[in-house]
Amino acid sequence: MKLTSEEVNEIALESRLLLTEEELAGAVRYINRFLDALQCFKELDLKDVEPFSFAEAIECPLREDKVIPFPDTEAILHESEHVDGSYFKVPRIMEE
Amino acid sequence: MELYELNLWMLTEGLKAGKFSASEVFTSCKNRIDKCEGNIHALITRTDNEMPAFSKDGTLAGIPTIIKDNLCTKGLRTTAASKILGDWRPPYDATAWARLKDSGAVLMGKANMDEFAMGNTCGNSAFGPTHNPNDITRVPGGSSGGSAAAVSAGYVPFSLGSDTGGSIRQPASYCGVYGFKPTYGMVSRYGLISYGSSLDQIGPFARTIRDLQIVMSVISGHDKMDSSSFRNKPHDFTHNENASIKGKRIAVVKEFAGFTLDAPIADAMKRTLKILEDEGAIITEVSLPVVSKYAVACYYALAMSEAHTNLERYDGVRLGYTVKDARGIKEMFERVRSEGFGAEVKARIIAGTCLTEPTRCEEYYVAATKVRTLIAQEFSRAFGETDYILQPVTPSMPGKIGESDDDAMKGYEADLYTLPVNLAGLPGLSFFTGYAGNLPVGLQLIGARWSDSEILDAGMILERHFGSPKISDGGVN
Repeated sequence: MKLTSEEVNEIALESRLLLTEEELAGAVRYINRFLDALQCFKELDLKDVEPFSFAEAIECPLREDKVIPFPDTEAILHESEHVDGSYFKVPRIMEE
Repeated sequence: MELYELNLWMLTEGLKAGKFSASEVFTSCKNRIDKCEGNIHALITRTDNEMPAFSKDGTLAGIPTIIKDNLCTKGLRTTAASKILGDWRPPYDATAWARLKDSGAVLMGKANMDEFAMGNTCGNSAFGPTHNPNDITRVPGGSSGGSAAAVSAGYVPFSLGSDTGGSIRQPASYCGVYGFKPTYGMVSRYGLISYGSSLDQIGPFARTIRDLQIVMSVISGHDKMDSSSFRNKPHDFTHNENASIKGKRIAVVKEFAGFTLDAPIADAMKRTLKILEDEGAIITEVSLPVVSKYAVACYYALAMSEAHTNLERYDGVRLGYTVKDARGIKEMFERVRSEGFGAEVKARIIAGTCLTEPTRCEEYYVAATKVRTLIAQEFSRAFGETDYILQPVTPSMPGKIGESDDDAMKGYEADLYTLPVNLAGLPGLSFFTGYAGNLPVGLQLIGARWSDSEILDAGMILERHFGSPKISDGGVN
């Protein structure tokens, strides 16, 4: 089933993207063409197939759950234009 | 011969023997960049204003290099060719770059690429397109087009790129250099700006196989900062002049036989098979029916889903492009992302969001992860029947800059020969076979997981027959 431009626009808004009319028309063509291409999966019997994982990953890949201070937090804060002291400051979160 | 024309191994030997100085090498490469960059535009940022201090004891002491601009460099602008990263200066180095630097490499610049590594022309960059140094009217390939073009034009003897679905191998082929995509897990991706995390891998470009081996010996190996980098896996890349492929099985893919190739690529396949046979290899055939029919759809479903997740982090708060007059957080995120991302990236984010929504996730994303299992199993079976697979990198020679097809899926289908390698986490070498007119022709050798050093040995044998690529004219003769 083809997605309408309203549906694609809704998906774009979920991704926090505002599309111009031209961009939206392109996105509708792109997504529907792409979803058509994915219909080929239905030709395969995937019922008993496990989702992919790298088989050698048998050891626990996680690091020890221990805080390691980053040596240069100033360098991180320096890159933002929304800093207040040692915090990032964002606009209001609650809608009016 | 100018110093910039020397390959990496020649430079390391010459520097050690005191035949010339690192400063002379630096100046020669810098002059070459000055001469060609106006025509090629391989670099987003140049760092060759003056010779920096470098580690004198390492394997790469005093060797100039260039790295793709999706590798983090501490205190130095890193853009991923996107407006959304602005002038971001990362507070840390990518491990692959840190290892080069510790080994004495000297950074000359950061290479242009398709935005967030999404593309195969290097024309999808917020900084404009890179031009193929063999013919500046043509694309260099992508996404690591700047890294490939820089090595081809003699800016540096080697560079780093990243390969999510062919982004090292395809531009290597288009520019006429060697490009190597290592086994997934062989090289740490810490500090690589993520696109598709289960697919991304860092690897080198160079003008000889021996040079690739030198770089791989420096950048490979476990890194505690990347949980996908493996411990205790073979990564001995010592150059072996006596390597042989006598008795090795080399297969072509049965299902690919019916696909159309440009004449120079089809001809290169025939010539390469003959060379391998003459070297004592056993030429055989493997069947990859799922790969040939479903890999493109599977790859793009997964790559877009992972991209959508990875790119959620760009919101204008902590780094990069931002707006300061937004009335709320939602407006801020929407404006930053809408103004900061390019068209292809937006399309892929929207597609990824669509595929992973709860109502569609099982039908598309989960199905793709299962198709990926079938693809990996198919390769695993194939590598029980053969040691290597020989195949094209792309079906066609590099196109003209600015030529585009309205149907993006057609462009994606051109990646059929490269992206299955990423789906199965395999190593792949894009190697040089000669020229058709002024354009280089490359092919690809792939192997089982962790067969990286054997593939490079086989590549060296092919290099003996085909010769190493020459430095391209870079648009200046």
